[in-house]
Amino acid sequence: MRVAMLGWEFPPFMSGGLGVHCYELSRALCRMGVEIDFFMPISGKKIEPPFPGLRIIEVAKTSLRPYLSFSKSGQNADYGKNLISAVNEYWDRCYDSVSFYSKEKPYDVLHAHDWLTSSAGVRLKSHLKVPLVQTFHSTEFDRTSWPWDYVLDIERSAAANADLLIAVSSRTKSQVMRLGADEGKIRVIYNGVDKSRFEQVKLEARALAELKKKKKVVLFLGRLTEQKGPVQFLHAAKRVLEKNPDVIFVVAGKGELLPLLINMTLDLGISSSVRFLGYVPDEDQQRIYKIADVYVMPSTSEPFGITALEAMSSGVPVIISKTSGVAEIVKSAIKVDFWDINAMATRILAVLKHETLARAMVSMSCREVSIYTWSKTAEETLRAYQEAIARK
Amino acid sequence: MLELLEKHPEFKISYSLTGVFMEQCRQFAPEVLESFSALAATGRVEFLSETYYHSLSYLFSDKDEFIEQVKLHSEAISKFATPSSVFRNTEAMFSNDIAYLAERLGYTGILAEGLDHILGWRSPTYLYSVKGCQKIKALLRHYRLSDDVGYRFSAKWWSEHPLTSDKYARWLAALGGDCVNIFMDYETFGEHHWVDTGIFEFLRHLPGEVSKHPHLAFATPSELAAKIPCRDEIDVPQVTSWADMERDTSAWLGNEMQRNAFSLVESIGEKVKQQKDGKLLRTWRMLQNSDHFYYMCTKSLSDQDVHNYFSPYDSPFDAYINYMNILQDFEAKVSEDERN
Repeated sequence: MRVAMLGWEFPPFMSGGLGVHCYELSRALCRMGVEIDFFMPISGKKIEPPFPGLRIIEVAKTSLRPYLSFSKSGQNADYGKNLISAVNEYWDRCYDSVSFYSKEKPYDVLHAHDWLTSSAGVRLKSHLKVPLVQTFHSTEFDRTSWPWDYVLDIERSAAANADLLIAVSSRTKSQVMRLGADEGKIRVIYNGVDKSRFEQVKLEARALAELKKKKKVVLFLGRLTEQKGPVQFLHAAKRVLEKNPDVIFVVAGKGELLPLLINMTLDLGISSSVRFLGYVPDEDQQRIYKIADVYVMPSTSEPFGITALEAMSSGVPVIISKTSGVAEIVKSAIKVDFWDINAMATRILAVLKHETLARAMVSMSCREVSIYTWSKTAEETLRAYQEAIARK
Repeated sequence: MLELLEKHPEFKISYSLTGVFMEQCRQFAPEVLESFSALAATGRVEFLSETYYHSLSYLFSDKDEFIEQVKLHSEAISKFATPSSVFRNTEAMFSNDIAYLAERLGYTGILAEGLDHILGWRSPTYLYSVKGCQKIKALLRHYRLSDDVGYRFSAKWWSEHPLTSDKYARWLAALGGDCVNIFMDYETFGEHHWVDTGIFEFLRHLPGEVSKHPHLAFATPSELAAKIPCRDEIDVPQVTSWADMERDTSAWLGNEMQRNAFSLVESIGEKVKQQKDGKLLRTWRMLQNSDHFYYMCTKSLSDQDVHNYFSPYDSPFDAYINYMNILQDFEAKVSEDERN
């Protein structure tokens, strides 16, 4: 089978779940004999195809990372203008490029990821007469409390025109249905994790090792946006520190809320117990979980939440919000409501206090994460391709 | 049940009620307790002896607490019925040592799960003596026939579905042996199997269908223990139960959290008893209930789903956290009282 996959990013330029998904999914699909042409914006660096079966085709220049704050002022107007022109440019180039390569040998399936690529997919589908599969890693409803009609319209069009829709969780599925999609053509396919990448990692930083002798570490990792719940994390931190001052809260990631969060730590009087690490590059993300005694993912709305599986693979107890896709599948995490600061704080305190609890969680999650493999995700995706072809 | 007892003079039935259950009835639904009194008044209903609390107290290394709870239960039952001379430990926990202790407490029989690895080629339809004991007789639950009703009754995948009372009576009639012990959760009727599955109709017709077979009769456990001789001896060195696939104590003490919580509740017993404070003692005993530990279970596959079905918590970890918070607060209170 020959697939044209329309993506936005690929290692080493990742800003989150979308990049990880595209990399791991195509790796697993190629292993199953699928040929993939992966179309993406020009990254400025040379990317070698990391495994056989995959060809990376860079089509348009952009330095924009849609899910990071990339303008210094953080103004929405900038976000809009720059991003939209880049996305439109990408669609045009993508359209030309996929059409060109399909003359080499026709594609069996087009697979688009998120709204950033979806309009190119919709246009190519009617031009090339090839079935279109659209994955929703998130919807505009998840990304912001003030959904933007411009983006919603693009997502609605993708939901209406694709032959088959993939949602990364049941909660994402219900969001996709809010876009008007017919339930019958949505398939829920969960993300996976490459456990071996995380379990082997050793903590090298000596300074941290010293710190850990005296203090317990609670980790937050994610973009600093409302959706990821860093505000709730700091409120919970305050409650924890009232009971147990020997705890350090590490906030890894960057985003538009950073100034607000820094002010918050001052207002709450907890600034000496909170460390902001800023953006953590790819290779450090694998290591960072090891510093934690507990990983907290307090997202207010999380389509999936791959980091929870990564932390579990790293042997760290995990506390996640119930409003996350990953909460639908994992059993060995503690689940709390993102707004329930007290519950979050008592769970953090309990995991830090009872070694027995932490050990039980880790031993159960080590067993559990080995079920959620990318091969499983790829098998289900391949079935979705076949279904889309059959429907056409 | 009263209807069945009135309609069928040969029908008999036995119950196993903890003291805690009776307390809850008294508090929330006194009519339920009255209905049990009415059943007891027929003289054909027996109430098995057990611990007052649905506790794991037998598993403490010091057996005094267990014995006290057995006595408490006997006093509670005595208020409306004669306590049975047959004993059933929490969740049918059984071993040679439990049987020996029950015998010393004066019981003539003890209920146990009729497990294949205990019986080998033998059948649960006989009474057995127990290794190391003199007189006590073991009544073994026939798990297959019990689960046909308790578990499989409404299962569409089951080849025997639908199960009718005449078919079931024919199965009973076809068994060899001296007796058959059918025990199940009371929730079988109306909760595990809802009204529309026909479970109540099944029950309504069962006594009549059983009576069609002249060699079948109903008996209470104490009648069996009095009348039927033992055919052989069983040897059960390790504690068995009717819980989970493993049929041992792993449903409550299978993981580290459970063992940690249990050893803590055991360890504060002496301090609690020294206080001679009824309220503290009662709280401590409530904390021994097997359910607290059941909710902390982290087994995988089908058993975990059963645990989750009964658990009020989101996860076994939440169960542990809540239990430990209560227990450690309680321990702090006991220590504080001790100083005053």
